[in-house]
Amino acid sequence: MNSLLDTLGLRDRDASVSGALCVRVERERFAEVATLLAHNHHLPLSLLYATDDRKTQGTYGVHAVFEGGQSGWLMLSTALPSDDARYASVTRTVLAAHWYERYAADMFGIVADGHPDPRRLVLHENMPEGVHPLRKDFAWNTRLPHANVPYPMHHVDGEGIYEIPVGPIHAGIIEPGHFRFNVAGERIIALEGKLFFTHKGCEKLLEGKNAKAALPFIERISGDASASHALAFCQAMETLAGCAVPARANDIRTLLCELERITMHVFDIGNIIGNGTGYTVLAAHGFRLREDMMRLSHSLCGNRFWRGMIVPGGCARDLDDRALRAVRSCLDAVCFDAARLFAMAMRSDAVRERLETTGTLRRDAALAYGAVGTTARASGIDRDVRRDHPYASYPRCPFRVAVHTSGDVYARLLVRSEELAASAAIVRHLLQDFSSGPILVPCSPTSGTAIGAVESWRGELLHVVRMHEGVIDRCAVRDPSFCNWPLFGEIGPGNIVPDFPLCNKSLNLSYSGTDL
Amino acid sequence: MSVFVFFLQGTVVLLLAPLATGCVRWCKARFQGRHGASPFLPYVRFLTLLRKEMVIAETASWIFHAAPFVVLCTAVFVAFSLPLLTSAPPPGGLDNFILFAAILALGSVFLVLGGLDPGTAFGGMGASREMTLASLVEPAMITALAAFAVVSDNSAISGMLAAGGASLLQHPALVLSLVALGLVALAENARYPVDNPATHLELTMVHEAMILEYSGAYLAIIELASSIRLTVFALLLANLLVPFPLLATAISFSGALATIGATVAKLVIAMFLLALWESSIPKMRFYRMQEYLSGAFFIALAGLAFSLLSLP
Repeated sequence: MNSLLDTLGLRDRDASVSGALCVRVERERFAEVATLLAHNHHLPLSLLYATDDRKTQGTYGVHAVFEGGQSGWLMLSTALPSDDARYASVTRTVLAAHWYERYAADMFGIVADGHPDPRRLVLHENMPEGVHPLRKDFAWNTRLPHANVPYPMHHVDGEGIYEIPVGPIHAGIIEPGHFRFNVAGERIIALEGKLFFTHKGCEKLLEGKNAKAALPFIERISGDASASHALAFCQAMETLAGCAVPARANDIRTLLCELERITMHVFDIGNIIGNGTGYTVLAAHGFRLREDMMRLSHSLCGNRFWRGMIVPGGCARDLDDRALRAVRSCLDAVCFDAARLFAMAMRSDAVRERLETTGTLRRDAALAYGAVGTTARASGIDRDVRRDHPYASYPRCPFRVAVHTSGDVYARLLVRSEELAASAAIVRHLLQDFSSGPILVPCSPTSGTAIGAVESWRGELLHVVRMHEGVIDRCAVRDPSFCNWPLFGEIGPGNIVPDFPLCNKSLNLSYSGTDL
Repeated sequence: MSVFVFFLQGTVVLLLAPLATGCVRWCKARFQGRHGASPFLPYVRFLTLLRKEMVIAETASWIFHAAPFVVLCTAVFVAFSLPLLTSAPPPGGLDNFILFAAILALGSVFLVLGGLDPGTAFGGMGASREMTLASLVEPAMITALAAFAVVSDNSAISGMLAAGGASLLQHPALVLSLVALGLVALAENARYPVDNPATHLELTMVHEAMILEYSGAYLAIIELASSIRLTVFALLLANLLVPFPLLATAISFSGALATIGATVAKLVIAMFLLALWESSIPKMRFYRMQEYLSGAFFIALAGLAFSLLSLP
């Protein structure tokens, strides 16, 4: 990686960033270097975020994080003068940057010159123009006047083109999101989503908090990935503090994250096959198994969402032998039933017929959009943080990354089913040889920037945390949903409207994780 | 006396209709491992909906208000006129099979108009799907019933059930027609694999999408009409398969009781089978519908052809 940077003439390293190699470039070269890294050296863009450094350096910062495989994470940083916060857009050449740059434009007022789609993203009609909530001079409790700024959406004109608006209030118990279908008959021509209806202000609220006070917010970013978010955040904290997490704590963390994965994969298998195709028996049993897992969480963690256990420096509570035996027996029962359900569904040609060729995401499209997680792996992209950037106890757990190439709903289902089996094997492997010893070491991060990366059940999850004197200065949270939401514009068109719920369920994205 | 028989039949069918819907829901819940709501819940729901306030789109015209009543009238008409509890011919030949198909089509058309009228996206979507299905369902249904008409030499459905009519034992080719009629009945009643009556996913709905804008008493009326249609189809198919015990024109008290008991049994068995069917298959992809319904049409056509060939 160093030699690569040297050949590009990048020598201005930023030593305050730990856990990643960070180079600074001048803003004129930012887009050019990012393009070289993404296209010529095939480093996927994993995150692009902005910072407000006006108080300390009189500039705004823009940072692009690339996933460098075996050589770790690479961060490319640039500074923009505060009176002229603009730079040449990366999106023109690297599509994966498009939502990040729109997000930075909304939140910081940083303009990406030449962005092909400079509409607002997070801020809806009711937010006045010129308001940028993540700037340091914007108080979190500011009351804003009600505005009426247009929020245009993609629209197709033509004879027989019919527009179907869906949401933001849905019939199921899910979060708000608006989808605009342009259809000819039943065939989808164009599809765009409008999310960010319930912005929680997490990133703003995290600023000024220490690690302990921030953790409850982190765990509530996305309820279905609480353990993964907590782990990513804690890893960043521990990298900053330079503390080594005890082996037993690592085992417990790995156990919890894998149990979370099993919980959600079981749910997804039931939801895709059961609810998506209307095979109600499967849905009922899938949800029953998910409930068993959530009750296991309740007995281990005292809550149903795998929360409260993972803390900076280790784990908050130890798991005794009885708890580990409970894990074992629950896991055996759930995996046995899940495998039987899955086999039953796969014996049905009608199920296969619904899933195959539905919602196809081609590999090149997945690469261009920067898709992550199960969705990317179902389209033939072999990426998994657990293997590529091992953390916790994964180095000592043998597992195979499930990859399929057809990119349809069926492939995403197969990836989930295989990951479910792999997760169960990881948990069994851990339980056979559970480390002993302490579970917590002191962890007091002071200043600097660090990256925490975790493969949540949904995909690669990143937390980039910058601390200043023990409190958070900026915490950029990148839930995998943020990368995968724009994929609907690619997956939807060509399918028929009644198949869209299947596409939607096969991705199962979090509104809350996107709407920080 | 004859009129009394039809009055009794209509009343029984109307009273049993919500039970049919409740029964199939309860059976499905049991198949899923759930306790399931009481099969009698649809009666409570009907009364609850009647008392609820209606929220009606500002853009709705008189068609929206008229549609539920037309739909109910068509359902009540078939409940009274077809040979469901009796094999006696109704006055004026009202059980002609072409008339039956036409009356059902009239109900469908008004349901579609009611869905289109408020101008909402889902209503239009459901309406377009319903019309696609209806155009495929009608020919299959008429062809299937035509086979029964041919062998019994009678275009009245009561004549097909009467002694010496279209008995399956004497005319095995009618099994094909009965199968086709069963496939058509599933489509006509918005059941699997054509439509999922229990889904909450608006984008996949057909029948439910059209009635999304209805609430309160109108919704109660439309749901009752759907239940009546389901009951009528279930009893009609059961009677074509097992044409007894049916009431004659002159009825006795015990005979009426026996017939009503048999009707309840037929209905419960039919709903159990429907629930079993709906629990064991997923819904079909919408663009496979023409294959399913063309299949039904060709089975019906084969039944008709064999019936014609088997005539002396």
